[in-house]
Amino acid sequence: MTIPIKYNIRNLFVRKITTTLTVLGIGLVVAVFLAVMALAEGLTRVFTASGSERNVLILRQNSQSELQSGISREQMQLVGNLPGIQKDADGKPLASAELVVVLNLDKRDGGSSNVTLRGVQEKGFALRPQLKMTEGRMFVPGQGEVIISESVTKRFKGTKSGEIIKFGAYSWKVVGHFEGGGTAPDSEIWTDVEGMMNTFRRGGFSSMLARTTDRAGKDQLLAALSADPRLALEGKSERAYYDEQTSTAAPIRFLGFFVGIVMAVGACFGAMNTMYAAVSARTREIATLRALGFSRLSVLASFVLESILLALLGGLVGCVLGLAIVKLALSGVTGTTNFATFSEVVFAFRLSPELLGSGIIFSIFMGFFGGLFPAGRAAFTKITEALRQVG
Amino acid sequence: MKLIPLAFKNILRKKTRSILTMASIVLPLFVICILGTMIRTLEADPTGGKGMFRLIVRHKVSLANFFPEAYREPVKQMPGVAAITILNWFGGQYIDNQPRNMFQRFAVEPESFLAVADEITIVEGTAQDWTSDRRGVLVGSLLAKRYGWKIGDQFVLKGDIFPVNLELTVRAIFKAPDETSVYFNRTYVEESVPWAKGLVGTLWIKADSPDAVARLTRMIDERFENTPYPTKTETEKEFQNGFISMLGNVKLVLNAISLAIGLVILLIAANTMAMTARERVTEIAVLRTLGFPKSDILTMVLAESLILALIGGGLGLAFFSLMFPGFRQGLLESPMGGFAAGMKLFPEVLIVGFLITLAIGLAAGLVPAFRSAQREITDGLRQVA
Repeated sequence: MTIPIKYNIRNLFVRKITTTLTVLGIGLVVAVFLAVMALAEGLTRVFTASGSERNVLILRQNSQSELQSGISREQMQLVGNLPGIQKDADGKPLASAELVVVLNLDKRDGGSSNVTLRGVQEKGFALRPQLKMTEGRMFVPGQGEVIISESVTKRFKGTKSGEIIKFGAYSWKVVGHFEGGGTAPDSEIWTDVEGMMNTFRRGGFSSMLARTTDRAGKDQLLAALSADPRLALEGKSERAYYDEQTSTAAPIRFLGFFVGIVMAVGACFGAMNTMYAAVSARTREIATLRALGFSRLSVLASFVLESILLALLGGLVGCVLGLAIVKLALSGVTGTTNFATFSEVVFAFRLSPELLGSGIIFSIFMGFFGGLFPAGRAAFTKITEALRQVG
Repeated sequence: MKLIPLAFKNILRKKTRSILTMASIVLPLFVICILGTMIRTLEADPTGGKGMFRLIVRHKVSLANFFPEAYREPVKQMPGVAAITILNWFGGQYIDNQPRNMFQRFAVEPESFLAVADEITIVEGTAQDWTSDRRGVLVGSLLAKRYGWKIGDQFVLKGDIFPVNLELTVRAIFKAPDETSVYFNRTYVEESVPWAKGLVGTLWIKADSPDAVARLTRMIDERFENTPYPTKTETEKEFQNGFISMLGNVKLVLNAISLAIGLVILLIAANTMAMTARERVTEIAVLRTLGFPKSDILTMVLAESLILALIGGGLGLAFFSLMFPGFRQGLLESPMGGFAAGMKLFPEVLIVGFLITLAIGLAAGLVPAFRSAQREITDGLRQVA
């Protein structure tokens, strides 16, 4: 025989202040956990959403990122003729040799950070179909013109259409903006690679990106690259390259779990306190229930359930709070430095339904552990003594 | 004041509740202390105050661009320059890319480097041993301990920006505020990578006076403003702050989390005090009948709240001080390893932790204390607990 759940719900509403304080405590723990994890998830998403499985990124051997890599013009010619690369309508290989340099720009909210300036060849855009121009026009090669992602413009000074980015003798005119659907180019500034090589007096490129015909083509290209020791280059799928960078979010995720778990233990003790008080205030009631024939197990289950209900309320409050914080206070783009590329990754907080679900599960755990011992005490109430007690 | 002993007795009355409340303060306070230590570490000056007298010159576009070595001579001639050296970020990897194998590697010019980096004390080997061996390396004692390096040991750094595998021999070990770097001769890199010859990442300058610092910053940048390689000169402190600002608003995040944790503790403690006060309504009415004034009741309830918070907080701070070395060690192996190296047990953090505890004790007890003191005696006596 089970005790009706209505009994527990009514009890929670009788002790308004205590219930409210406990629910708020648990809610706050869940909200903090969600906010930190939303930060980590937003950052991770930039990398997981970036990169196509069919594009192969070619770097110098041992290079962890494009910034550390170098490819000469001769190497570029050789790579262009390797098998497996798709040919465009004009019969040329669908590939772009690119140069990346980081620019130290001032942030709108103070301080400065490095932003990737990427010089691309003509096919650079076809290789990243997610890019869309949103304002202004495309750069004209050789004119020192750049286009900038909307997200970068939101975070850095002097990067609006019509403005000029200037470092002594170096200057670029901003002629347009683009949007990359939350992928890596959203953190970048683009220009033409030949003009950029002139500006920086560089004789070579940083990396090369090539579209392969299909899976077999990809394997063919990768094999051809590693088979030629003269090249001293290595290729990997663009997807794999970005996957390696998800570790940028690892410290944040670690912080989220660490803070979340420690705070949860604290909140658990708080819930335990509340439940102990609930049990001791209802000693006679519990004894009556037992005398009526409800088993120890039913009483135990009933109090654990009450605790879980309490925590669940907290979890819901936490989710609402978390959503409110992320949607209202943290809705803009933010950024941090990816030390693998030594440049800023611009991203938005991201509170996914899965994350909200994990917040709810998290709160249920708090309720279960917080309620177990008090419920145990309730279940082992000595009936005769408790009934004799003068309340 | 006669009621203070009663406050103690009250705490002992519901032992489980008191223990749980204290326990719920201990762990969150531990986390607040750790976050506080992180904030403090971010603010700390790794150069031990010398960063104010040192300047770093880099390419204006960003640290990742090189400029010609020829810039050194004209800068060296400027008034106020006491010493100048070349410091190039090497990057590369040691063994693999695991966080525990991350540390800073610099290609430098050994003799002048030691003149500028005067906070470095060589504790094993000698400066002479290092400067005279082109393939010698000077390592921080923290790293020497971590990897078990002894004088004469060899290790390999795989290059990435500079495609060369350096085979280095440990020639000297140093102590300094920051011991997580290794320094080796840039000539070794230049010999192996022809294009790197004559390229400089940063010039590092020791100024002879505070006045010279401001003057040199302007002079150097103006001198190279319209060349193909414009420069940016800043104090070492500003340079370090630049790295922190690259991380994003970390301080804000840490502060916000700390604040939220503080609020959680406050809610738990306030809950305990609210429950306690409610259970004692009749009792407090009896005390009032006996002639104890409102102020005594107020003091008693507040004292109980404060004592609870302070015991919990004291335990939390003690726990933190005790666990800190182990925690730091654990963090050294984690993805935050590089950062953990600069962490210390800062006294300010403990003081702030104590103040937070005090504030929580007061705030949690305030409402129940006032309500208990203000309640009409007749109401209190009428209430059936």
